[in-house]
Amino acid sequence: MSTDGARRGQILVIGSIVVALALVGIYLAAGGASYAPEKSQDPCQDRPWRDPQGLQAIAEQFSLSALDGAACQLGVTRETLARALATPEARERFSERYGIDDEKLAKAIRAGLLRAVDDAEEAGALSPFLAGPVRGVIEEIPLDRAIELITDARSLLGNVQGFLGPAGELLEEFLP
Amino acid sequence: MAAAPRPRLAALALAVGLVLADSSIVVLALPEIYRELDTSVAGVTWVLISFNLVMALAAVPAALLARRVGPGRTAAVGLAVFAGAGLACGLSDQLSTLIVARCVQALGGAAAVTAALELLPATVGSERRAAAIWAGAGATGAALGPAVGGVLTELVSWQSIFLIQVPVALAAAVPILAVAKHEAATGIIATEVRRTGRPHLLANLALAMVSAAIAAALFLLVLLLIEGWRLTPIGAAIVVTAMPLFAILGSRIGPLVPDARARAAAGAILVAGGLAGLALLPKAEVVLTLPPQALIGVGLSLVLSALTETALGGRSPQAIHGGWTISARHAGVVIGLLALTPIFTADIAEQRQQAIDAGTAVILDSRASPLLKIQLAERIEERLEGEKGRVPTIGPAFEPLPEDPAERESVLVLRDELQEQLDRGATHAFSPSFLLGALLALLALIPIGLARRVDL
Repeated sequence: MSTDGARRGQILVIGSIVVALALVGIYLAAGGASYAPEKSQDPCQDRPWRDPQGLQAIAEQFSLSALDGAACQLGVTRETLARALATPEARERFSERYGIDDEKLAKAIRAGLLRAVDDAEEAGALSPFLAGPVRGVIEEIPLDRAIELITDARSLLGNVQGFLGPAGELLEEFLP
Repeated sequence: MAAAPRPRLAALALAVGLVLADSSIVVLALPEIYRELDTSVAGVTWVLISFNLVMALAAVPAALLARRVGPGRTAAVGLAVFAGAGLACGLSDQLSTLIVARCVQALGGAAAVTAALELLPATVGSERRAAAIWAGAGATGAALGPAVGGVLTELVSWQSIFLIQVPVALAAAVPILAVAKHEAATGIIATEVRRTGRPHLLANLALAMVSAAIAAALFLLVLLLIEGWRLTPIGAAIVVTAMPLFAILGSRIGPLVPDARARAAAGAILVAGGLAGLALLPKAEVVLTLPPQALIGVGLSLVLSALTETALGGRSPQAIHGGWTISARHAGVVIGLLALTPIFTADIAEQRQQAIDAGTAVILDSRASPLLKIQLAERIEERLEGEKGRVPTIGPAFEPLPEDPAERESVLVLRDELQEQLDRGATHAFSPSFLLGALLALLALIPIGLARRVDL
């Protein structure tokens, strides 16, 4: 092969390396390595409450904390559990997929509620004076009542009073 | 010989282009087949794998057969089998029958393609020119296949991809029939049976590796566009046409560099760079796939032509060595698909879950009313269930939009944020597979580099 031919070959190979590296470099610089969905937060880790104002906001934060606590117990993400509780059919699919029966789910929800009380107390949304009795009420919620409650996500996410039953009434009475 | 050279040349080029297009023509139809035949992503890839596997296994025996019984007869029978099996593919209503028909189609195709390489030198008067026409027809068919398949799938149906091949294959067989009749009448076959030399192992090994990488590029990009970014088959066809267009540019660069090894190395590097670019897409935007496609297109043209030239160069008979290149290329496609399918199907499932979780987190943490959150959670769950494991279109879950302007605005923001997470998940799910494809292209540099020292 002629020297010119060999030289053209070298230029082609070097040019290809430069172009390939340039493309990779530009895409990396534009964020290509981190273009992925946000990772779900570990539900077992603390999630700070965002400045709850009024009963409705406290109820919402309380529900989210309860979800975190229950999800932590079950080893799933908070988001997966929230969708599982959206409808009875979704709950059934969730139970099948993760091998979690109603009893286990109810226990997890109870544990989640207790964590929500802790979080509420820590955030200053629930006084220690009130937190104790609320814990007592949660611990006394019968299993079938917990199962009944979790079959309707509205009572979990939308109406903390309904979810807590007697504890909700206490909250209503004591919170501003 | 019996048929006039010009129609025979056109028929042979058409036959080669048609058969090699079939290796990729169904790529854009796979999502449609997947839905209609109610199968899995892994299952539907067998529509591609089966054809390429049988082509890989049958190419060399088919070349030997062509030299024993006559290339005219082999090509004519091959095209008839190809047409008949194409009809069976088009009439299939089950995945299993479709896969069996694809296997038979590949048997006929292997016979037609390798026999065509045996017939071409007598038609054009030179082995070198025959090899160039054969490789060019194959490359054109393979390049146009996905676009044609995408257009037919959307405008007619996936079945039409196979049905339309029936008259085309039969039309290509007509001028070749005259050669077959001549062989039967005279008992003379086109070329004498000679002892065959050993195939060029390194060139064929490199061809297999690069073909695996290119199959990854095409197959994964189509799945990303249709299943991940929800483009229509025609939309995806237009996008992936960039690759063959840039391949034409590559075919112009090739002749300027006489060193085949340098062209092969440069091509493999460009294919690897393009695949790495697809693995590192910084956003779910079609336009960002164009620079990687440009590199892959130019690269595949350089590397495939250089390696085929090396594998055939100075080796005789060409049909046998052509058979080895067909075998290597299709084996590479099979290995690529078999290696990548389990990886990306697992990644899609994982990323889909992560994206849905991220989107749900956006909704849960938003300041929307709890009732609205619950309604959205219910509708998203319904969408997920309805999509059966695919990346869902999330827009309908947010409809009807609330009438209150403020609430409507917040819902639209939530919808966009959730869609953004889904786009991120769908795009990211393909990254490891694209990177593996890039690695395969880089590994092809080893046999390409060794080819200078150890010319087998």
